[in-house]
Amino acid sequence: METRPFEPKNLEKWKTSLDKCIRCGYCYEHCPIFKHTRWESDAPRAKLIMLYGLLAGKLQPSTYLADRIASCFYCGRCVAACSSGVLLTDIFTDAKRDFQGTEFEALGTTTVTNTDCVACLACVRACPHEARLFVSGKIVTDTVKCQSCGICVDVCPNKAVSTSLSYGTNRPALNLEIGQFLEKENSKAIVFGCNWSYYPDFQASFMEPDEPPEYKILINMCGGRLEKPLLLEPLLNNAWGVLVVCCPDGECEHDGNVKAKSHVKALRELLGEMDIDPERLQLVQIKHGDKVGFQTAIDTFMEKLNTLGPIEK
Amino acid sequence: MEKIDIPRLIDIVGEENLKSNPADLYVYGSDSSVHSARPWVVVRPRNTGEVQKIMAYANQERIPVVTRGAGSGMCGQTVPIHGGITLDMKRMNQILEINPSDVFCRVEPGVVDDDLNQALKPYGLFYPPTPASSRIATIGGEIGNNASGVRSVKYGATRDSVLGMKVVLADGALVTLGARTRVEATGYQLHKLIVGSEGTLGVVVEATLSFVPIPKFRCLGMANFDRLEDAGAAIAGIMGGGIAPSMLELVDNVAIKAVNKTMDLGLPDVAAVLLYEADGMVKEAVDYEINAMKEVCRKNNGTGLVSSYNADERAKIFMGRKKLFPALSKFSDVLSSTSLADDMAVPYSKMAETAKKIHEIAARNNIIMTAYGHCGSGCMHTKILMEPTRSDQWDSARRAVAEIYEYVRSVKGTTSAEHGIGISKAAAFKAEKADSLDLMTRVKKAFDPNNILNPGKLMDAPEDWVTATDLRYMVA
Repeated sequence: METRPFEPKNLEKWKTSLDKCIRCGYCYEHCPIFKHTRWESDAPRAKLIMLYGLLAGKLQPSTYLADRIASCFYCGRCVAACSSGVLLTDIFTDAKRDFQGTEFEALGTTTVTNTDCVACLACVRACPHEARLFVSGKIVTDTVKCQSCGICVDVCPNKAVSTSLSYGTNRPALNLEIGQFLEKENSKAIVFGCNWSYYPDFQASFMEPDEPPEYKILINMCGGRLEKPLLLEPLLNNAWGVLVVCCPDGECEHDGNVKAKSHVKALRELLGEMDIDPERLQLVQIKHGDKVGFQTAIDTFMEKLNTLGPIEK
Repeated sequence: MEKIDIPRLIDIVGEENLKSNPADLYVYGSDSSVHSARPWVVVRPRNTGEVQKIMAYANQERIPVVTRGAGSGMCGQTVPIHGGITLDMKRMNQILEINPSDVFCRVEPGVVDDDLNQALKPYGLFYPPTPASSRIATIGGEIGNNASGVRSVKYGATRDSVLGMKVVLADGALVTLGARTRVEATGYQLHKLIVGSEGTLGVVVEATLSFVPIPKFRCLGMANFDRLEDAGAAIAGIMGGGIAPSMLELVDNVAIKAVNKTMDLGLPDVAAVLLYEADGMVKEAVDYEINAMKEVCRKNNGTGLVSSYNADERAKIFMGRKKLFPALSKFSDVLSSTSLADDMAVPYSKMAETAKKIHEIAARNNIIMTAYGHCGSGCMHTKILMEPTRSDQWDSARRAVAEIYEYVRSVKGTTSAEHGIGISKAAAFKAEKADSLDLMTRVKKAFDPNNILNPGKLMDAPEDWVTATDLRYMVA
């Protein structure tokens, strides 16, 4: 494929913003990608530093650098946390625009379509960011528009869509964690949370618990990424219940909460038909940043599960 | 770069814990300071054994090693001025033990301050040094520059909470320093020397820290002053008056204007605001301290005296101070907020004069400077707001910084209260500690004969901070 030379045309206008970043690093704790890899180069601050290096001629464009920039779930928590008011995700989008069509263009966390695609266009219709396109008989992802929300992954009936890099948020990675946790003594429940729910856990440290924990919180970025089989997986692995934590109505950037609510409603009906108490699968909507509300919801859910006991086979 | 044996380092930490791509190195060459340089490689050890192996290798090959926590330092402590290996300690992130009955906890250096406090909370305890960056700052980094924060006036700095530590020395040997007891008189207290040594004496791989109970009552008050001198007299009156605040903060008019301009909080447009807090287990005792502080403020022409125990109201009173940091960053589209001459300490009686001097020096040098800070600890914070792409602004900043430190020394203050020296403040530090520099150099040599641990910092740093490294900005 023919490529064009890299020119930071769209990035140029952000020079002053890049000066405004005081590099305090307060964006770290909010970034799911940094929390997954614990490499500073994956934190939002690092992305700005790299782009600065690019504009200053201190760094050469590279696929590696482009891949770091394209690795973003657009949760926007770094923007909300930025003490200098830097519009980080807008800068990342413009950087992706500059890389698009060059030899360095990289996929990052955007989605890819494999050969099982039958071009049913379900993903094209479902994508809230108009990033899925039907071009020359093939479905492609516009890497600039794609915000890695993962909704196309879920809606694909043929499972032909996947995220290029998931940072622990795709189904196989989550299933692995679910399996490993549920093998442990005292494990009872899985809690799925979006990155805006400010889960009540350590940011980047670890401590052996006094007692084995009853539940595990898994951050999957957005309720919109929760596929039905993923929600059922813990229950098939002897979990007592599953709790889904989503944003309040109207507050999800990708309307992922709407989809999660619909999935949970359908699965609860299914559980009922299977003579399993539907209360074992619940969805709660928590205000952004409400750690106490999140913890209270978990405590209430665990109390309910402890009255229900394990699922009888 | 060619000196580095990458396969050997991979053998020690594993391929997934080493980075050498230019983009990664550029990131790890920066922190929250104005400086920029590049390491040759970044490695993430998981345990003490790995740190020992890395140090033994680096010492043998005379390769510089810079230890790094969150990289939130403001003076360039973790900027690898001579390249070498950057040791990213964030993988050593375990809280190893919390022992409430013996009043200590043991942590690895990569534990985040806020995480430690979250772990202590269920026991009714907290780790008090807590700087403003506690949400990301690691305990190792805090030890490196003897970090402290708004409550240092009552609870002290990091050094006051460190009971002991395990340290890997330059040659890879492991030593255990300090004890697990409240007091110790057993020879040199070398763990206290490691605190504030900015990674130049060893690599901390475990720290034993003390903590204190979370007070049941906390009351925050505020007073407005039309003259900086009156606010200064109130500070000296409180600190010299047998009163024990848990926080005493000054916010000057430049800062008030910045907050009002960017946040519209409607703070009174006065010369200075004082925020004073008392805490304790008995309400009557807290009342006593708060009333005593109010009285001192009143006597010194303080107005608008309000105080509250209510958490929401306290948050409202503190909002102006809390929002100051972002307000300064957002002050103007063309001005950037830089950390230069940003945390000197002066005697209480000189606080107001220092604030005035800062304003005077800023005006003379055509830059904007605020004066605010933890005046209960004698700490004065500033930020220099300037156009960082203009080279003449750096000349102005250089002059202003030199003039400020000259004044600080003249009133027997000190160069840094809590952010450390690194590169940015090395010249001022050397001038202040002139008669003990040679002794410090000999101490450094005893710990690190080959000068591989964070070389080019403190006594070893270049004289001119502006040209010491590349500046992080695109200066015309």
